[in-house]
Amino acid sequence: MTTTQSISLFGEREKGESVRTQNMTAAVAIANIVKSSLGPVGLDKMLVDEVGDVTVTNDGATILKLLEVEHPAAKVLCELAQLQDEEVGDGTTSVVIIAAELLRAANELIKQKIHPTTIINGYKLACKESVKFIQDNLSVPAADLGKNCLLNVAKTSMSSKIIGSDKDFFSNIIVQSCELIRFTNTRGEPKCPIKTINVLKAHGKSTRESMFIKGYALNCTVASQLMPKSIKNAKIACIDFSLQKAKMKLGVQVLVDDPEKLDAIRQRESDITKEKIQLILNSGANVILTTGGIDDMCLKYFVDAGAMAVRRCKKEDVKRIARATGATFVASLSNLEGEESFDAAFLGSAEEISQARICDDELIIIKGTKAKPAASIILRGANDIYVDEMDRSVHDSLCAVKRVIESKAVVPGGGCVEAALSIYLENFATSLGSREQLAIAEFAQAMLVIPKTLVVNAAKDSTELVAKLRAFHNASQTIEAKKGFKWIGLDLENGKCRDNKEAGVLEPAMSKIKSLKFATEAAITILRIDDMIKIYQPSKEDPNSYANAVREGRL
Amino acid sequence: MVGLFKCTNTFVEGLKMQAPMLVLKNNSKRESGRKVQLSNIKAAKTISDIIRTCLGPKAMLKMLMDPMGGIVMTNDGNAILREIQVQHPAAKSMIEISRTQDEEVGDGTTSVIILAGELLKVAEPFLVENMHPTVIIAAYRQALEDAVDMMRNDVAKSVDINNREEMIKIIKSSLGTKFMKGWNDLACGIALDAVKCVNIDDKGGYKEIDIKRYAKVEKVPGGSIEMSEILDGVMFNKDVTHTGMKRRIENPRIVMLDCNLEYKKGESQTNMEFMQETDFRKILQLEENYIKEICDDIIALKPDLVLTEKGVSDLAQHFLLKAGISAIRRLRKSDMNRVARAVGGQIVHRTEELKESDVGTECGLFEIKKFGDEYFTFLTKCKNPKACTILLRGASKDVLMEVERNLQDAMNVARNVMLDPFLVPGGGAVEAALAHRLNEKSKAIQGVGQWPYRALAEALKVIPKTLMQNCGVNTIRTMTNLTAKHATSGPTWGVDGETGNIVDMEEFGVWDTLQVKSQVLKTAIETAILLLRIDDIVSGVKKQSDIDAEKMAGKFQPAPQEPAEE
Repeated sequence: MTTTQSISLFGEREKGESVRTQNMTAAVAIANIVKSSLGPVGLDKMLVDEVGDVTVTNDGATILKLLEVEHPAAKVLCELAQLQDEEVGDGTTSVVIIAAELLRAANELIKQKIHPTTIINGYKLACKESVKFIQDNLSVPAADLGKNCLLNVAKTSMSSKIIGSDKDFFSNIIVQSCELIRFTNTRGEPKCPIKTINVLKAHGKSTRESMFIKGYALNCTVASQLMPKSIKNAKIACIDFSLQKAKMKLGVQVLVDDPEKLDAIRQRESDITKEKIQLILNSGANVILTTGGIDDMCLKYFVDAGAMAVRRCKKEDVKRIARATGATFVASLSNLEGEESFDAAFLGSAEEISQARICDDELIIIKGTKAKPAASIILRGANDIYVDEMDRSVHDSLCAVKRVIESKAVVPGGGCVEAALSIYLENFATSLGSREQLAIAEFAQAMLVIPKTLVVNAAKDSTELVAKLRAFHNASQTIEAKKGFKWIGLDLENGKCRDNKEAGVLEPAMSKIKSLKFATEAAITILRIDDMIKIYQPSKEDPNSYANAVREGRL
Repeated sequence: MVGLFKCTNTFVEGLKMQAPMLVLKNNSKRESGRKVQLSNIKAAKTISDIIRTCLGPKAMLKMLMDPMGGIVMTNDGNAILREIQVQHPAAKSMIEISRTQDEEVGDGTTSVIILAGELLKVAEPFLVENMHPTVIIAAYRQALEDAVDMMRNDVAKSVDINNREEMIKIIKSSLGTKFMKGWNDLACGIALDAVKCVNIDDKGGYKEIDIKRYAKVEKVPGGSIEMSEILDGVMFNKDVTHTGMKRRIENPRIVMLDCNLEYKKGESQTNMEFMQETDFRKILQLEENYIKEICDDIIALKPDLVLTEKGVSDLAQHFLLKAGISAIRRLRKSDMNRVARAVGGQIVHRTEELKESDVGTECGLFEIKKFGDEYFTFLTKCKNPKACTILLRGASKDVLMEVERNLQDAMNVARNVMLDPFLVPGGGAVEAALAHRLNEKSKAIQGVGQWPYRALAEALKVIPKTLMQNCGVNTIRTMTNLTAKHATSGPTWGVDGETGNIVDMEEFGVWDTLQVKSQVLKTAIETAILLLRIDDIVSGVKKQSDIDAEKMAGKFQPAPQEPAEE
């Protein structure tokens, strides 16, 4: 039943059931796109843009970001994935699938003439109950599981990704780097700023030869080939200005009376920078990192002093290096007295700085930074497409580990939480006497989409396995003696149910809770819509154009 | 050839839903499932078929036309694929791996493509039989681990990098498949000397062999290939600035500058305002004096040769000429770096800071020679050069280009051996050996993974098979013989690419470096994994740059303005 009627603006309007069905179809269509990438046996998508550049990815957020989505309701889901990516960093695919399933279920209820607001209330209640249930019953404090916990979280997060077959190797790298940079802030909260882990990509070698470096890898080369390529006990100066011949700012003119002085000015131009360099070198610096340039004249002084100078580093990199080595990021040499000086206290130190050849490129690696540990990961792989995808996968795993370190709780994965929730909510629904009962029961059903999709992707019998899984969870919630069954989840390689807490399939609890909340909220947003007005772009034709003029008979 | 690719690119209209509702933009096309997997495999196979004939000593060259109308003649896998324009995204990914191989080890660019194509081809029947790609991938990954281990532990042998004859033999087997084959001894000698020359090994464990920067290949059309040589020093395409300057000096003292020998202009903006005419003369005088001063600074060191990266004014030429100094101007920075490494000394920017230690004295002979219409400067007989130039002569530019590519491959082989002195038998022997060993091992593997594992072992044989095909022997019979040999005796039996006979590489002397071969395996298998994991292709998506732009726009969007009231 399409009710298109003309309104005063040039556009179209749809309302009622037609728009709901449309929104639901759009959401399901989006979910279907990412569905097959869920789980340890999920596959990848290849995305080709207009120019023909290729992206291969398994990450829900990346897929949806690259798709050109037209339908407004579908756009809401894409933004949902983006939100999950920014807030949690992992679980972007499942959030979209859950949201779409919630919408589909709601649409069924609406067809049975239940008012959307009732459904919305039911969903809100169900979401609240689920979060409570996860926190009370399903989450395990990370400390209880010991050291392997972090490793397992990293492994679970990357098992669906391209690096899944090397998960032992990569989970080690990831946990090592997270452990290295974690610290406890002044309020006593553990923090893990994963942004400071520098992930570099270089094609060549094999994935197994990716490297974890206890230090900082800088994607630059030494300024002159005549400089030393490796310095032990480095004293690092981080500066934020160019070492070039001094130059007046735009519009400043120099007027001299005596022609002799002209030459003196030019002499001075060279000397100003020379003095600056001498100041820096005199303080004992043997490595100079600058965000600006260094011209040929100045290079020579560094070469003569046996120092290593690196020009045009990224500001962000230099700032991080300054923080890690204890150096002061100097923006100018002038001090409070108006004199130029460079204090030895501004220098940072590191055990070793060397230039290494990786692939056809060179990197500068700073090892053994004194002030704070730094971590870098260099990814290797068959080609650029491959390493790009590795980068995304590693990022997701880093996020997952970070969440566990910061929130200190995990839940078992492999559809365990969703199955438990579905049983719990169904029981909860029957305890309610209001109309929300139906909505909560649908919510409970919708939860099952995750285990179902997992099983379908693994090409196993979904009806049977999910039924088994539910039976276990039902037992765990009703029979006191079988409480241990609540950790049961799916083992997709063998198509069985197993204790996923034992098997080490773990996800950060926060990721599960957030994705549930986000999905419910997105579904509610779309559910509230009962009217869609689409205004066509006003034609951009110039009213004064020749064609118009002819048409209107102005000529 | 390009037309063919466009045909394989059969995207269908995706997302067929009821009504004319559009979820994705109109121009996006989506294809998914089995069809994608099979089309990826087909694309990969097509690419590998193009360069199949470029493998082995009986390889043929390909002639490629680029859009500008220029031609490239080569049998280097990377160089061929670089020029081809393909439409299919999987094919693009295949082409990328050839580049990876080239940049990482510099050789084996053809084998990697052939092997990757074959690996995908053998996976096809499993996909048709409904085996899950992740199972195949796990088996491939396991096989890769095992193969790399086996290669290092069972098949490889170490080599003495100081033994010249051994080294030449290794380089020879790399060049055996190339255009340079006819001048094998010459080319091998050049490649080995060049690499030895630029090898720096300070005892602190820092090892550097930078071929790209310090071993320059200069191509001079004309003459014959036999006239190519490696110089114990450097050479560049420049002449002295003034015809009166000396063109041949023995044991020259060389000053290297990277500044102008002209009147310098200041960085700051300067204007001159004259009040009287004498001032004008004074300024001119000053300028001349300045040049005289800097020339005097140089002359004080008594050099025989001045090289600069910038210009030399007529006046400066005059002063230098008078002092009997030859000057060469406008050298490239990279050339200057090589000169500095070859003759010792330091590049100086300010003439007043010149010191005795900055002067390069290790050069034995400065000479300017004329080839055809052009003058070339030679700085040769250096005592301990750490940089060198390889002078290539040949009939035409196209031939020279191919010779240069060959030499680059050869130098890369030499470098790889120096860095990792392990060898594996060539001529398909190592692949056959691995195939045999993996096949044996597969019997112990439990579960479905056994089949793809065994298929991978079989796929490795594509290298000896292609060698046989290219020299036109009966592939099936020879391959059976080779497999039998490997089942009974050592891992060194391979194919003689010239005759197609089965020979023992130990005697035949065709060796490859372990680094190249293991890189071929790694890259090929990982690419196969990447392509096997794909089950969906969506084309017509946003460009990454657009997304970034959107983000930026989102961040700095000004608050919506209230419409002005009328």
